[in-house]
Amino acid sequence: MLRKVAIVGYKQTQHTSESKVSRERMVYELVKSFFADMGITRDDVGTFVLCSNDFQEGRTISEVYMIPRVGAYMKDETKVDSDGITAIHYGLMRILSGNYDTALIVGYAMGGSEFLGHTIINHMLDPIYERQLGLINEISAAALQAQAYMKKHRLTEEQLAKIAAKDLRNASRNPYALRRLDGVTSKDVLGSKLLYSPIRELHTYPATDGACVLMLAAEEKAKELTDKPVWILGVANCQETYYLGDRDLTQSVSLKLAAAKAYKMAKIRKAAKEVSLAELHTTFASQQPIFAEALGLYPRGSGGKVIDRGESEITGTIPLNPSGGPLGANPFTVCGIIRVAEACAQLRGEAGENQVKDARIAVAHGQVGICAQHNTVFVLGNQPTA
Amino acid sequence: MRNVGIISVGYNGRFVSKRKDVNIPEMVQAAVHNALAKTRLTLEDIDAFIEGNMATFEGVNYPNLWLSDHIGAVNKPLMRISTGGTTGMSAFHCAYYHVASGLYDTVMAIGWEKHDEGDAQVGLGGIVLPEIFTMFSFGPAMAGPGAGGTLTGGGSTGGASFQAMSYLAKCGGDVEHIDMIAAQARSNAAKNPYAHLQVPGCTKEDIAKTPMVSYPLRFGHTCPTSCGACVMILTTDRKAKKYADHVAWVKAVATGTSDATTGNLIDGQITDPADQVIATEVAKKAYAMAGITNPKKQIQVAEVYDGFAHQELMWPERLLLVDEGKAPKLLEKGALAIDGDMPVNPSGGVVSTNAIGASAMVRVAEAALQVMGLAEGGHQVPRKVRNAMAHGWGGLFQFVTVTIVGDTKRRA
Repeated sequence: MLRKVAIVGYKQTQHTSESKVSRERMVYELVKSFFADMGITRDDVGTFVLCSNDFQEGRTISEVYMIPRVGAYMKDETKVDSDGITAIHYGLMRILSGNYDTALIVGYAMGGSEFLGHTIINHMLDPIYERQLGLINEISAAALQAQAYMKKHRLTEEQLAKIAAKDLRNASRNPYALRRLDGVTSKDVLGSKLLYSPIRELHTYPATDGACVLMLAAEEKAKELTDKPVWILGVANCQETYYLGDRDLTQSVSLKLAAAKAYKMAKIRKAAKEVSLAELHTTFASQQPIFAEALGLYPRGSGGKVIDRGESEITGTIPLNPSGGPLGANPFTVCGIIRVAEACAQLRGEAGENQVKDARIAVAHGQVGICAQHNTVFVLGNQPTA
Repeated sequence: MRNVGIISVGYNGRFVSKRKDVNIPEMVQAAVHNALAKTRLTLEDIDAFIEGNMATFEGVNYPNLWLSDHIGAVNKPLMRISTGGTTGMSAFHCAYYHVASGLYDTVMAIGWEKHDEGDAQVGLGGIVLPEIFTMFSFGPAMAGPGAGGTLTGGGSTGGASFQAMSYLAKCGGDVEHIDMIAAQARSNAAKNPYAHLQVPGCTKEDIAKTPMVSYPLRFGHTCPTSCGACVMILTTDRKAKKYADHVAWVKAVATGTSDATTGNLIDGQITDPADQVIATEVAKKAYAMAGITNPKKQIQVAEVYDGFAHQELMWPERLLLVDEGKAPKLLEKGALAIDGDMPVNPSGGVVSTNAIGASAMVRVAEAALQVMGLAEGGHQVPRKVRNAMAHGWGGLFQFVTVTIVGDTKRRA
């Protein structure tokens, strides 16, 4: 990379499903308190990169009223329309160009109290055939993906429930999570409502209102702004074919390609040896082995073994979703930013009860599309080189 | 610092009201082919894609996912940008940063809109809905037919008519000047084979005969809703010559936003919708980046985002291309014409062709074509174009993007 860039601060809301305030108020209070925590003003921000989705907001050009709330008015600002992790990627590029030294990334969504994720995702389907047919939706597609993996790699429903229960237990110790079920077990998961076989209610995310803010800075500036910079070592994104029938749903080709590029940039040769933990945008528990395998953290088809042996637990070899991941909270379009923020928390030793020991290098992942058609990977470290 | 060059501009064909013969991916794909055909590149050589359109207008969320297979982006990086009217140029800027960051070498930017699959004014009305709900809570009379339409002001024209009146008051111009500039735009469009509303030899009298929409703006002063796609290919200075015969260098990119009100709030003061202080600030940033000290002399042509004809006079003033309040006089003298001292929108501008997600990118594309000397059909500016300015505008009268392209590389 042309410059070294670090994440110098992050903050997320206490996620909820029924926000008592407007999204503008939610974001204003979050960004204002973030500036106060950082000891900066809006004048310290070189460029603002927002992320929102007009379908989620039910409003055209949904960022127009958010400009003053994030402190961007009369300033430099742009917006991506994707998962928020893309906004971090774009903010990084703007700094790497040398035109800016700092970037503020803001994502927000009211998926709990306004438009539910599933209805928005249905608008991603091609309007000519699949949407009219009414067979495919976010959950039924995830069920197909789950069935494909379970059949090919002999992952049982009990093991799938254990993956969900592991994430849910982590989420119960995460103070920002919306869904906190103390002492949840795989039995509870198996007893939850069946949506599309084998996907049950506790395999997937709760409808969430929430926001997350994150600040990037070039090396010199980063050292002024924080004692605990988290360095961006590698990043890449990739999207694969749109048509489900053309995809092998037991694996994620685009994530594999993106991961290879990101690791190369970070000079990581054996991810399974070097990565301390991963925060994955698993909107369904069944995606966890697929993503972890595409990222090269576990061997292909090992989903059942990994969960049985407890390797993905916080105390395991490579913890997956120590924060609880999207099963704890998944504000639409913000989820990827939260994954990066939670990875930063781990690398800075700020993850509380969910802290992974000796976390040195973390992988954060974000995705959009049916069965994660588009994936972005960040490799982060608490040292400027891996 | 890495220099970035534009090596190709592609269109899907002439922009028109309705393209019932193609769907969205088919329309966009035609522009991708067109852009590639002008280079020595194949799709394999494209390292990343950047795509943008108005998010809700066609009822397809994240259309990049659907486009993937049809634009050659399968198993490739892609970023989607959507910022309202400025979308096309925001996507172009994102493409610029892909290369300038050193992360990618050769990238393709795509801006498109297929307005025949939606209703632009319903979408644009949706921007001001929150303000309308606020008005409800203060209790304006909503009874009677058309009252809701009055509040939304007929979509975007309502708000723009306030700006037009205010601009005329400031510059001392007359409605006739808006007729004149609209006529110039329509006749320029007739020299651009890709433009939508082409009226050869259009006169101000022709425009004055069109129906009134919201005083002072007539039908002839407003943009059409078009279907079309624009594609641009950008690469590094090392690869530009290898891949193409012509290159326009990106000398400056700048962006800015003010508050979401028709009169922008600056330091607690409500400013006039025709003030557009943010446009001037962004232009100054761009000139500094490009090393331009006297834009009136150093810029030979401008492509501005004129969704409404009066803006084709207002923007050059705010962007410091002409003296404040002088645009109507310069128009009378023919200075804004294709062969004038400061040609504005030789392409016919947004007022003649508006596929929203493409429009701000078309401004850069046209500026680049002017620098390369490749503007087709008689809209090439006759004198040598060293630097050209492109401007985008959007949001609720609040977003501004500026790009300066030139025939020499940017100096650090």
